Amino acid sequence: MAFLTPFFLLGLSAIAIPVLIHLIQREKKRVIEFPSLMFVRRIPYQSVRRRRIRHWALLLMRAAAIALIVAAFARPFIHQGTVAAAVGGGAREVVILLDQSASMGYGDHWSRARDAARAVVRGLGADDRATLVLFDKNAEENMRATSDRTRLEAAINAAHVGSGATRYGPALKLAESILSRSAIKRREAVLVSDFQRSGWSGSEEVRFPEGMTVSTVSVASPNSANLAVPSVTFARASFSGQERITVTAGLSNKGDEPLKDVPVTLTIDGHEIQTERATVAPHAAGSVTFAQFTLTGPNVRGSVRAGADLLPADNIFHFVLAPSEPVSLAIVDSGDRSDGSLFLSKALSIGTTPTFHVDVASASRVTPTAFDKRAVAVLNDTMFPPAGGGGVLKRFLERGGGLLVVTGDHTTWPPGEAELLPGRLGATVDRTSGRSGSLGYLDYSHPVFEVFKAPRSGDFSAAHVFRYRALQTLPTDRILARFDDGAIAAAERKVGAGRAIVWTSTLDDSWTDIGVKPIFLPLVHQLVRYLAHYEPATSWFTVGQVLDLTARAKGRADKSDRIVVTPSGERISQSSAGEGSEGLLELNEQGVYEVRSSGAAASPPSRIWRRSIRASS
Amino acid sequence: MTSSQALPGARFVDPKILLRVGNLELLARHVVEGFINGLHRAPYFGASIDFAEHRGYVAGDDIRRVDWRVFARTDRFYVKQYEADTNTNVSVLLDVSRSMKFSNRGVPKLEYGCFVGACLAYLAQRQRDRVGLITFDNDIVSHVPPSAKHFNVVLHTMERARPERPGNLPIPLHKMDAVLEAIKPLKFLGNDLIVFHVLDPAEIDFGYEDASSFEDLETGEQIPVVPESLVREYRSMIQAHILALTTKFSEHRIDYTVLNTAEPLDRALFSYLSSRERLMRVR
Repeated sequence: MAFLTPFFLLGLSAIAIPVLIHLIQREKKRVIEFPSLMFVRRIPYQSVRRRRIRHWALLLMRAAAIALIVAAFARPFIHQGTVAAAVGGGAREVVILLDQSASMGYGDHWSRARDAARAVVRGLGADDRATLVLFDKNAEENMRATSDRTRLEAAINAAHVGSGATRYGPALKLAESILSRSAIKRREAVLVSDFQRSGWSGSEEVRFPEGMTVSTVSVASPNSANLAVPSVTFARASFSGQERITVTAGLSNKGDEPLKDVPVTLTIDGHEIQTERATVAPHAAGSVTFAQFTLTGPNVRGSVRAGADLLPADNIFHFVLAPSEPVSLAIVDSGDRSDGSLFLSKALSIGTTPTFHVDVASASRVTPTAFDKRAVAVLNDTMFPPAGGGGVLKRFLERGGGLLVVTGDHTTWPPGEAELLPGRLGATVDRTSGRSGSLGYLDYSHPVFEVFKAPRSGDFSAAHVFRYRALQTLPTDRILARFDDGAIAAAERKVGAGRAIVWTSTLDDSWTDIGVKPIFLPLVHQLVRYLAHYEPATSWFTVGQVLDLTARAKGRADKSDRIVVTPSGERISQSSAGEGSEGLLELNEQGVYEVRSSGAAASPPSRIWRRSIRASS
Repeated sequence: MTSSQALPGARFVDPKILLRVGNLELLARHVVEGFINGLHRAPYFGASIDFAEHRGYVAGDDIRRVDWRVFARTDRFYVKQYEADTNTNVSVLLDVSRSMKFSNRGVPKLEYGCFVGACLAYLAQRQRDRVGLITFDNDIVSHVPPSAKHFNVVLHTMERARPERPGNLPIPLHKMDAVLEAIKPLKFLGNDLIVFHVLDPAEIDFGYEDASSFEDLETGEQIPVVPESLVREYRSMIQAHILALTTKFSEHRIDYTVLNTAEPLDRALFSYLSSRERLMRVR
């Protein structure tokens, strides 16, 4: 018998409390009035009796109560393995849970873990059966229950360290399931791991039935020194029409000793670009910023490697860089003013993530091809462009384009195209007399305004609105913003795969002063990003993530089947028509995954993934 | 009834107690001289129904008292004489020293004593005796002379009695010779003495458990006491003391009764009065 929290046994000293109380209570000063003490006076006083314990049974019960409470806090338990062994012999059903998570690659952890697993196998009797379960984030029954020790040892020898995180819950549940199915009475699970703290969330709810025993073999080492590259960030800038990238790598030192002059190397497409020296204090983080380099083509592989230690897996960070694709806009205005779209075009010329490619044209001159290959069309205080008629704008929207209608004096909308506008435009409302209007309601749950949700993230009420167009929406339209008098300021309608948003005032200085407010630029950027379905490019994923390749292939011209080459060289074929789980790819390895069209020549990888690994602690 | 309850001290005349003892009589054991007819024997002849003797007729005797049957037999005039019944003085002596305020499990000793005194006074007053009261501690605190009209005053005085000062008698009460010395003068005057010794159950069995300091109510002296160590000795000593008092008082023809405040008063008083009546017939 042992205790899980033996420190609580110190509480046994509290047994002295009832004894003291027992004695102190007897000694306390009480004065009792009595008519006459003439008889008492004749009897000699015996003070020694005060210090004697009188109610032994009561005292013992009190002490026993305290002892039991203390023992309960100390959480006693009995080694059931010992008990089971003592109860009887016979065959055993053993499940060996071998941790193959990435942290097991630290130093000699993995070799010691395998030695421990082999020792368990060698300890099996002739009638014993064992199952080998390899686990990291998930658990896999590597070798089903067998008495063949040779096969078990071969399976242990063939196992290797993975890139996954540690999770004990699935492994223990699998062990419980295997042992529950067994008809053998003596059932044991042996967990071999370095026992990463992060592997146990406390909510696994694993319950082993009575009679099953779980023993643990820890291969953790007290030395936890480890240098890791947990993150890499990229700063993009345009220079002479080319995109230049500045890579900044984060470093973390988990050890007790400072790391001085650690070489940190940036590699692009297999070429070492630059090596910097970094010094990281113990249990601290640092960063290294490399010089800018020009991004020459799509899907450029890169990696940052920092020093070398007992866990090399987290010393390198892989990524893939692709040139940022600008969001292309066509702004159509009335052409009456030369600076009619000045505010919009200036605001959109500033963006970097993404950059915006803006073309401005007047409604009378715009051609149907002006909407081709555009992500967003902005009708800025203009009549409905003739080139957009005849279903041009409708088709543009249905294939995923975005339409922003900014109303003003010149805005007209033909009844035949009413389905493209989120609502029916009415007369102009003049708020110049008296107090001007302002934005009174914003739908912060909408992606456009979500970034302004936090306090002090944008003061929309500072903008004054002097005129706006009345708008009558349908129930299916979504109201994004209202003015202080309740009139609609912005509304959205989904048309096919596209999105159309109407802004009932202007986005310049004619009907409102929002163009000179700090909120203007982020608002315009958010509107365009949303309408363009913009998603920032992902340069890396973490091991364990699942990627839906089918969803990512939508909209691409290439409809052939895919072949996925994993970092270990395994080739996985995927059908382009695959639905559901067929198009899903689980990223289990650290390194570069290549996704190629079936039958195509080797092409640059489309994505690279890495994971962060924590060393033993 | 309403008026009696409004009277201070009327609570001491408890109807529940009187219901039990109301039919009994508190008679003087000795011949007493009273002014009016009562229940007690008088030293002279009177107009009772108890025949005493014959005597020769003398001039002036009421001829209605001549016993004509004796005249017929003896041809002499004899007059029948009857024993006279009279009333007497009943004084209640009530100890109001500080020890009488003691109360452990029952009512305070003084209150219990007041109940006893009031009941006896009621009985006496009902049989037309004169009742009075003397409260004392170290000295006489209050004195109500015996009178047929002083019953209410007696109750009022009992109500006002407070156990404030130490008493002198309690000390001799526990010293038998001194007790007798204190009481004998009363006896010598021809009084019929009845002693009620009011004791709290704690005084009899000393039922304390925890060691404590005990304070003598009379002297204020404090003594640390471990009850368990002396309870047996104490009990034997108090029993021996009561037995000795009983013996000594009996020798002097004094009624001595121990009243336990834990006992219902009606039972204790009924027990005493009925036994006294029974013994009166014997005597």
